[in-house]
Amino acid sequence: MNRLYPEIAVAQISKAGEELCGDKVEVARTEAATTVVISDGLGSGVKANILATLTTKIASSLLKRNVPITEVVPTITETLPVCRERKIAYSTLQIIKLLPDCMATVVEFDSPTTFLFRGGQVVPFPTEARNIGGKAIREGRLLLGEGDIIVAVSDGVIHAGIGGLLKLGWDWPGISAELAAHCSPSDDAEQIAEHILGCCNGYYLGQPGDDSTVVVIKLRRPRNLTLFTGPPANRDMDEQVVKRLMGGEGKKVIAGGTTANIVSRVLGLPVTVDLDYQDPEIPPIAKIGNLDLVTEGVLTLTAAIGRLHDIRKLRASTRRDGATLLARLLYEADRIDILAGTAVNPAHQNPNFPAQINIKAQVLANLRNALEDLGKRVTVEWV
Amino acid sequence: MSTLRIEVCLGTSCHLMGAQDIIDAIENLPPDKRSKIDLRGVTCLKTCRKGPNARVNGIILSEITPERILTVIEDNLA
Ligand code: FES
Repeated sequence: MNRLYPEIAVAQISKAGEELCGDKVEVARTEAATTVVISDGLGSGVKANILATLTTKIASSLLKRNVPITEVVPTITETLPVCRERKIAYSTLQIIKLLPDCMATVVEFDSPTTFLFRGGQVVPFPTEARNIGGKAIREGRLLLGEGDIIVAVSDGVIHAGIGGLLKLGWDWPGISAELAAHCSPSDDAEQIAEHILGCCNGYYLGQPGDDSTVVVIKLRRPRNLTLFTGPPANRDMDEQVVKRLMGGEGKKVIAGGTTANIVSRVLGLPVTVDLDYQDPEIPPIAKIGNLDLVTEGVLTLTAAIGRLHDIRKLRASTRRDGATLLARLLYEADRIDILAGTAVNPAHQNPNFPAQINIKAQVLANLRNALEDLGKRVTVEWV
Repeated sequence: MSTLRIEVCLGTSCHLMGAQDIIDAIENLPPDKRSKIDLRGVTCLKTCRKGPNARVNGIILSEITPERILTVIEDNLA
């Protein structure tokens, strides 16, 4: 498992006064490839948004079906209307495709040149001009390595500040210099995207003259997390499951009091429970050895799912209750393996409790959906 | 004067049945009394149906209320 993981962040602002952004980004992760499709609809507002959405949707659904890029591009360019006066297509298209072996393909059709940020240097992602179905595109392939970062921006970023703070706009060299000077390969994709977009917005003096989009793809080692929740059906399996948990790569989390007791017994390490109620709704967290987190089960998991639905708030939150800590660890992981015990939990058989806490499977299904929506790879193994 | 060890269960069931009120009642004791109590949290005492539960000097007490825990403390510290 030394495949690299593409961490992807998208940051966008709309043209001042427009509610909808005319740039569209579509990210698709499958076993076979990760593809990012970016489109900038001509103009702004609803019309641009519709055109860009159309472009990205068509492209990404074709790519998902393994249609080669050489066929995707002409399909799109032939489908897209062309502006009668300006003789240019109504939207641009940029495709970044990453294979599991880290081979990256970049295709640009009327879009700004893609940045490659490698070892502190920023260079154009190497492409060559090609003619596909009568359309001039640029295409390039490059094998990426750990720490390599690809940045794609829409026109709005290139033109930031034009005629205002910057006579000719921020432009490609300006953005490239900013990346090299103020971003580091150790930054998260998100930090880099937000930094560049922040500068862009600054050059526009907070009044963007165009929709602006920054997409950052960073290749790094995958972050794994194993979550053990609920006692195994059969006590004889306790030891084996705890071994699985401890043997897994990455972070280790326990959600559930009885589960914590099992781990404590098997490892011969005490559970110490925090008495602090950081949030009256969430039972306090506990500690076992150097496990990354030990929380209560179903209430905390349910609340953590809620927290995962608002990532911005989660990122900004300084709360240290079990649900927030759990949601953050899950959010930071790329791959999550859940070991779910199937023993009937006596705690959940109390007839006075709301029905939903009886449905552990339901909670885990919701958790899985929330995580998959965030692009995580999740496995659930019932033990 | 010996100390009294009280372990309050903070598991799912006990939490829902009001374990926090038990903790609060103990935490809010006057300092001279509070200092004689070794208060800890534990996970599931396996008596979930009769929560909230606490273990006082090794003995599990079920269906406790803040009033009851205070009485138990009075009796044991007397
Ligand atoms: S949750 Fe308190 S005894 Fe089970």
